[in-house]
Amino acid sequence: MKYLRQIYEIGMRELLILRRNHMYRFCMVAFPLLTMFFFTSIMSDGLPTGMPVAVVDLDNTSMTRSLAQRLDAFQMTRVVARYPSVAEARHAIQENKIYGFLYIPKGTTDNLLANRQPKVSYYYSNASLTAGSMVMKDLKTISTLGSAAVGQATLRARGFTDEQIKTLLQPIVIDLHQIANPWGSYDSYISTTMVPGMMMLFIFLISAYSLGNEVKFGSSKEWLAKADNNIYVALLGKFLPQTIIWLALVYGYEYYVFEVLRFPHLGGPWMLILLGLMQVLAAQGFGIFSYGLMPSLRMSMSVCSLWAVLSISMAGSAFPVMAMDGPLQSLSWLFPLRHYFMLYQTCVLNGYPLLEAWFHFAGLAAFMLLPWLVVRKIKNAMLTYVYIP
Amino acid sequence: MIRDTFFIWRQELKEVFNDEGVLIFFIIVPLVYPLLYSWIYNNETVREVPVVVVDDSHTGLSRRFVRMCDASPDVHIACYAQDMDEAKSLVSRQVAKGIYFIPSDFETRVNRLEQATISVYCDMSLMLAYKAVYQTAQLVSMEMGSEIKTKLGGRYTSREEAIATRPLDVADVPVFNPSGGYGSFILPAVLMLILQQTLVLGIGMAAGTARENNRYKQLIPISRPYQGVFRIVFGKSLCYFMIYALMGTWLTVVIPWIFGFPQLASGWTLLVLMFPYILACIFFGIVMSCMVKYRENVMLLMVFVSVPLLFLSGISWPQSNIPAFWQGVSWIFPSTYGVRAYMRLNSMGATLGDVATELRMLWLHVAIYFALACAVYRYQIYLTRQDALSRLHEMKKKKKRKNLEGTK
Repeated sequence: MKYLRQIYEIGMRELLILRRNHMYRFCMVAFPLLTMFFFTSIMSDGLPTGMPVAVVDLDNTSMTRSLAQRLDAFQMTRVVARYPSVAEARHAIQENKIYGFLYIPKGTTDNLLANRQPKVSYYYSNASLTAGSMVMKDLKTISTLGSAAVGQATLRARGFTDEQIKTLLQPIVIDLHQIANPWGSYDSYISTTMVPGMMMLFIFLISAYSLGNEVKFGSSKEWLAKADNNIYVALLGKFLPQTIIWLALVYGYEYYVFEVLRFPHLGGPWMLILLGLMQVLAAQGFGIFSYGLMPSLRMSMSVCSLWAVLSISMAGSAFPVMAMDGPLQSLSWLFPLRHYFMLYQTCVLNGYPLLEAWFHFAGLAAFMLLPWLVVRKIKNAMLTYVYIP
Repeated sequence: MIRDTFFIWRQELKEVFNDEGVLIFFIIVPLVYPLLYSWIYNNETVREVPVVVVDDSHTGLSRRFVRMCDASPDVHIACYAQDMDEAKSLVSRQVAKGIYFIPSDFETRVNRLEQATISVYCDMSLMLAYKAVYQTAQLVSMEMGSEIKTKLGGRYTSREEAIATRPLDVADVPVFNPSGGYGSFILPAVLMLILQQTLVLGIGMAAGTARENNRYKQLIPISRPYQGVFRIVFGKSLCYFMIYALMGTWLTVVIPWIFGFPQLASGWTLLVLMFPYILACIFFGIVMSCMVKYRENVMLLMVFVSVPLLFLSGISWPQSNIPAFWQGVSWIFPSTYGVRAYMRLNSMGATLGDVATELRMLWLHVAIYFALACAVYRYQIYLTRQDALSRLHEMKKKKKRKNLEGTK
């Protein structure tokens, strides 16, 4: 009972601190909301559409023109220009006007009709990987279709049935199933790891910041006195209000993306609740631990921000961890976001049982318990350290 | 005036090298982070993605399909499963990233002149793994398809066969970063961003320290050299520029050279780009630093911006598809133009003329942020003077009161 009252009192004191220093208002409300809005709005298309491409049509017959028109009708690409030569089209890519182009050399139609196997080419820039691979998909489809259309006409003239023509053109068909994300949407794939990664950044920083500020503004002794110098009670009371705010943000975001925007998630709501809780507690654990390890405000905050920024790459959501060098694969365990991502993709996106990701669950749990290793050091710092700018 | 400028320059240099917080952001992060990122992305592409096969056909043709997939660089056949349930459990345990399912009537259908189907199930949690699994199956099926087609056709010459199966030949030509390497694609952007972010963080921190060390919590001391706006801005900028001339060389010349990333820009073009970019970042940092009251706050303000800035530069998400509102926001930051210009000069071999828009915008940033930096320092000087005057006033009052009390 005594502990509960102390925790309540320290919690109230913390709320007052949070209200008074407007850095907290920015970093616990304004910036997180801004980040959430940023990532969900910048990719709201899901897949990029209408990306600029060009056509270099040196043949200029009705057949090649219809090829270009059909390319324009594709959803992802838009034909914005026609260039008289490959060199100029290539230059246009360098000027950032187009991402790729279709090149139809002179005499294509003639050679096609005369059975001399002409060649068309499509060029695309991989310097911007997403745009390049998307544009490549459409350019490839249109060129293959062009080839198929001619083959179809020849075969029909020879008296094959439609079924046979289909087989002769493409004997083996690939039937693609994109498990759990059938639209291949980029939004649902980037927003679900980038935003939690950014939330972890804020939680890391604020946890270390709020501890360091007790020393910086000389209020640490008073804080501990309120808990009768029991550091566990003091920490619980201090971080409980923050935890509640973070949880509100995280659950609000989960509700928004999974219920309002309908991002794919095969795992049930309980899994989302568990994941959100683990995310917040593990991140707080890391923040407190890093302050305990180096009880200097600027060092711990520097470490927190560097770690959080690195973890966005080390989570392996864009460039997979399995493709990195061996030592890096093991190092990735040191980043809470890595475990979060594995838990998310196994249990939420694909809806497999929690057992399949037990290792990463344990990883996040370990981050939660980290502060336990340094409580003594934190207490010592609070009672004896003096802030030096 | 020039003496004062150099005095401030020396003072600033001393502060930078005495402050471990600033040192971390000015020296250590720009030195170490690029190495780390290059190491992370050094493998460039995803090879040998594990796939599980469910082969219900058990025929020569189906085994040939599996063998050809296994022989491809991107896919590795990790295991065979008896049925789809087993395969699914292997995927859920992360043993495999996809499933190739070959139905029992696969070869029969091919022989009957009917289209045969192979089902590919992809784990969508990793886009690059999905692409490897799907594209390999597609390529192999096309390759096998054209073999089957030639067999079915029954023609006289091999040339005729080739033309019949493919009347129109298609060439796939990736230009710039032809291997589609992930590192070569993302690193130019990351390098340029590191430059801007560490500069802003370092300058902000130095300013925060100056303010905290000052007796009256002012950004600038009242002493004589600090009485002119230009000498302050020039003096400080000169100090930062010296450090970042070195760091810029390290980031844009040495790092790509060590890790063998594409490097098409010549030294001269890089110089033309980096000069305004570093200047714009410095003045931008100075403007931001005036908003910092305590030294640590700059981290809370600036670190989280890094990731959105990467997206705004139009590298990972196509620039043509960024909503207009965010396009507008991206105009504020020098990094947007720095990244775009550097990527096109360095990875795409563009000429300076091709990036004229970006260069012009960078010079505009230099001008605007320089003016703003002068304005904010003007205001700081004004504040300091006001503060000193009011303090003087207070002191005089106190003295007077004391005198009065003394005469009573």
